[in-house]
Amino acid sequence: MAIDLRQTESETREQRLGSITGYDGTLEDLTSRGCAGCLKNKLRDFQTVSSCAHHHAINQLAGLDGTLVVDHAPIGCAGAQIGFSVAKNRLPMAPGDPPLEHAKVVSSGIDEADTIFGAIEKLKSTVRDAYRRHKPQEIYVTTSCTSAVIGEDVYSAVLELREELGIPVEIASGEGLRSKIWASGFDSYSHAVSKVRFGKPEKKNNTINYLGFAPSGRQFVDPLFERLGLEVICLTAGATREDFQRATMSVASWGQCSSQSNYICSVLEQEYGVRYLQTHLPYGGIGFERFFRDLGELTGKADIAEQVIAEEKAKYSEQIEALKSKLTGKRALVALGSGFAFEYTRVLGELGIDVVHTIAYHYDPVLDQNNIDSDLAVVADVKELKLNLDVSVNDAQEMETNLLMKRYNPDFLLSRGHEAAAWAYRQGIPAMDSEIGFVIMGYRGLVEFGTTLVELLGNTNFVRKFGARYRSPFTREYENLNPFSFYRKEEAM
Amino acid sequence: MEAIACEIESGYAWSEQQRVGCAVGGVYTALAIERVLPIMHCGPGCEGNIDSVMARTNGGQNADTYFESVIPSTNFCEADVVFGGQERLRKLVDDSLRFYDADMFIIIDGCTAEIVGDDIEEVARGFEDARVPVLFASLPGFKGNNLWGHSQILSAIIDQYLPAQAGVINPKQVNVLGVVPFYDTFWAATLEKLENTLRELGLEPNIIYGRRHGLANLDKIPNAGFNLVLSPWVDIDIAQKLESKYGTPFLHYPAVPAGPTETAKFIRAVTEYAGLDRIKAEHYIREAEERYYYYVNRSIRWIFTCRVQPKEFYINSSAVQALSLTRFLVNDLGFIPRRIFINENVPEEHHGTIREYFKELELDDPESIEIIFTADGGLCDQYVKSEDTTFRKTVVLGTTWDELTAKVLRIPFVPVSAPYGDVIVGLKTYFGYDGGLALMTDIYNDAANKGMGTVN
Repeated sequence: MAIDLRQTESETREQRLGSITGYDGTLEDLTSRGCAGCLKNKLRDFQTVSSCAHHHAINQLAGLDGTLVVDHAPIGCAGAQIGFSVAKNRLPMAPGDPPLEHAKVVSSGIDEADTIFGAIEKLKSTVRDAYRRHKPQEIYVTTSCTSAVIGEDVYSAVLELREELGIPVEIASGEGLRSKIWASGFDSYSHAVSKVRFGKPEKKNNTINYLGFAPSGRQFVDPLFERLGLEVICLTAGATREDFQRATMSVASWGQCSSQSNYICSVLEQEYGVRYLQTHLPYGGIGFERFFRDLGELTGKADIAEQVIAEEKAKYSEQIEALKSKLTGKRALVALGSGFAFEYTRVLGELGIDVVHTIAYHYDPVLDQNNIDSDLAVVADVKELKLNLDVSVNDAQEMETNLLMKRYNPDFLLSRGHEAAAWAYRQGIPAMDSEIGFVIMGYRGLVEFGTTLVELLGNTNFVRKFGARYRSPFTREYENLNPFSFYRKEEAM
Repeated sequence: MEAIACEIESGYAWSEQQRVGCAVGGVYTALAIERVLPIMHCGPGCEGNIDSVMARTNGGQNADTYFESVIPSTNFCEADVVFGGQERLRKLVDDSLRFYDADMFIIIDGCTAEIVGDDIEEVARGFEDARVPVLFASLPGFKGNNLWGHSQILSAIIDQYLPAQAGVINPKQVNVLGVVPFYDTFWAATLEKLENTLRELGLEPNIIYGRRHGLANLDKIPNAGFNLVLSPWVDIDIAQKLESKYGTPFLHYPAVPAGPTETAKFIRAVTEYAGLDRIKAEHYIREAEERYYYYVNRSIRWIFTCRVQPKEFYINSSAVQALSLTRFLVNDLGFIPRRIFINENVPEEHHGTIREYFKELELDDPESIEIIFTADGGLCDQYVKSEDTTFRKTVVLGTTWDELTAKVLRIPFVPVSAPYGDVIVGLKTYFGYDGGLALMTDIYNDAANKGMGTVN
C-alpha cells in the first residue's frame, strides 16, 4: 500500500495495514493470513493499560537534532518524555558531537476552559514563545486526544506559523485514542519528518540507511559494511537534517524492526528508489547471512559478502558452540514488539533454546512497501526455515502474559519495556529485557546475546529467593483462567 | 535574560521539562495504599504518560501490590467518543472484581471520557453491593496536575468510603498527611522514619501509604486525636475536610524537617501541640543533635582541607522540598539561596503564605530571596544557563531535568524531587537528622566529583 505524503497525517496501522492486537494460534496460521483484511482482530472485553501512540510520536521527533515539539495537550501527555531524554543523553558520544541537551518538548497545557472555548490561540503563542526560547530548526506540533475531541484546527495554525516563523512547522498527529497500536505513533513521526526533511536526491551514494531508536553499537558493524564499500547513515536519535537528506541518495535502507522503521524505509523506497531491505533482518547468524547476501547481490559484491560471512562465522564459531552447550534445551517464553518477537524466536533457536511460546505486542499482516513480492521478515522465516510454534498477540496485556508464564513455566522470559520481566522476577522466573539494533547483529551479536543468557541462568539465587515470597494479588478464578479468556464474545473489528 | 523577564511578565501557560503528571497521577495515591487498585477509564497510554515523571524516572519506583501494567483500563478509543464508553467500563469493573483480590477499587476517568460525558459515578453506584468498596474519582488531565488528582483520590475515600461519624477518639493517634506518595520521591523512607520519630515522642502515628498499612489504617482515620499536615499547601484541603466531617483538629507544619535546626523545631511544635512529655522531647533532641554533629565532625577534615566550598544554591523543585531543603541549607549548612523556583503550579491563594514560610530563615535579609512560582520546569534552566556564575560556588538542587544542565556546566547537583532520575532511590530521604547528613554528603560529594572541590 502506497504512502501518501500529501495527506496531513498518517493513517493508523489498523486502518492502513489491518494490524491486530488480539490473536492466538500458530505462527504458520498467523502468517498465512497475510493479506490485509483476512486476519481478524480479537478484541478484549477485559484490558489493562497499554501505551500511547502520541507519546511515541513525540519521543521520536524530540530525539532528532535541532527539533522542538509542541504538544497540544493537557500537561500530562508530555510527562513521559523525561525517560527518553535521559536515555538519549546516555548514548555514547563521538568526538565533535554537540554538547548534550534535553529533548525540547513544550506542552501548551490545555485546561478546562480551553475544552469549552478552544485553545488555538494558546497553541500559537506557545509555539511562538518556544521558538523564541530555543530557536529550533524545526517545530513539530503533536495533537492529543483532548485537542482532537474538542475539534481543534491545528493544521491551519501550523500553516500560519510556518509562514510566520520561516522555519518548517509540521503537524504530527497520533492521538492515543485513534490506535491501540503504539507503533502508529512511530508512523506519525515518520510521516511528519518525511515531509520536512526529505528532498530531491542529487545523486546516488555508497551509503546505506539504518532506521532505529539509537545508533548504539555501530562500531561493531561499520567495518562489515565498509567491506562492501558502504557507509551507514543512522536515522536514529540525534540524526541531523543532513543525515535525512543524504539518506535519499543511499542504495538501500533497513530498520531495527518493522514497527519503528517501516514507514520511513517505505517512503525512501517509494519516493527516491532507495531499496527497502525488509525480508531478512540481520540479527544473529542466520539473519546476518541472509541479509548480507541480499546486500552483496544488490551492490554487485556477492563474493565479498560471502567472504565476510565466512570470516564472521569462523571468528565466533567456537564461542557459539560453547554457548550452545550451556543453553541447549532451555525453554524460553518471548514477549516483544511485533518485529523483535519473531526475530528473537529465531535467534534463540540458533542457540539451541526451545521457544515455547512467542507473544507479539501487535502484528502487521502487511507493510507499506512497494515491492510487495518481498515477504515480511517473519513470513520469510516460516517459508525458509519452517519456523512454527504457538504464538499470540497482545498489546502488553500483562494479565494474559502472566497466565502464559504460568502455563508454560519457562526457564526464562525474554521481553522488553512493558513490565513482563518484572512480573516474571516477582514470580520466580528469570527474565531479561533484550537489546535491539546493531548490538545483536550477526555472529558477534549472537555471542553477546548468548553470553548474557548464560550469565542470567548462571546464578538464579536472587530470583529464586525473591520469587519465593510472591503471593498472588489475584483471585483463584483468575489464576485458573485459560490465558485467552479475555476476548469479547463476538470477535470482530 | 530579557527574554526570561518578558516570559514571566506575560504570565504564559505553557511549560517544558515536565515536573508533574496530570491529574491521572492521582492513581499513584491509590496504588500507594496496599491492596487498593484503580480502574482507569482512560486512553491506553494515560498511565504510561504519567508513569515516568511519577515513578519510573522518579527514582526507579513501581507500585507494590499491583504493578502498573495490570491496572485495568478501558483503553478509551474513537468509537467510545461516538458511542460512549460507560458500558465497556461497567463490564471492566465487573471483570476486575472477579480477577483481583483487592480490598478497594477506585474508578477514575481521564480527559476524553470526561469530555464525552461518561458518568463514572453512575457506574460506581452500580457496584454498591460488591464484595469490596468500588469508589470513583474524576481525574481529567485538563483540570489539574497530579497534586489535584491526589486530592481527588483522598476526597473520594473520605466522602465515599469513610463512615459519617468517628468512633472512639484515640487522643494519641495522629494521621499523617502532606507527603504525596510516589511524587515525593523520598516518601517511603520519609514516612517510615517519621513514624518511628512520632512513636518515640509518645504518639500513635497512622500512615495510610506503604507497607502493612492499607485499609486498616484508612479505617482508623476518623478516630485520630489530630491530623498532622507536613507540607506548605498540599493536603491542607484534606485536613480541613476531615475537620469539618469529624471535628479532627490539625497541626499544619509546612516543611518536612531536614537537619538539626528544623527537626528540633518540628519536634517541639508537635510536643507542644499534642501536649507530650517535654523532657522526653528535649532529651530526644539533645541526643540526636549530638549524634548529628558527631558525624559532621567525622568528615570535617575532608570538607575543609584544600577544597573550595559550594555556597550558593538554586532550587527548582516542589514547594515542600524547596522550603524544607532551603531551611536546612541556610540554617544548618550555611548556604545562601540564589533563586528558588517552585514548579508544581501552586494555586495562587497559597503563594503569599509560602513566601512567608521562606522568611523563617537565619539570614540577614530573608526578604530578599527571590521565589518564583511557575508551572514551567524549564524556566530555572534558562536562568542557570544565562546567569554569570564565574565567581560563585553554585549548587543546583532539582530534578533530573536540571541534572544535565549541571553536568554540562559542571555545577554540583543533587536531585531532590520528581522526576528524580533514571536510577533507584532505595531508602533515601532527607528527613530528620540523618536526612540532613545525607543531603550534606550528596552535595559535597557531587561538588568534589565535578571538580569544584580541590584547591589547585
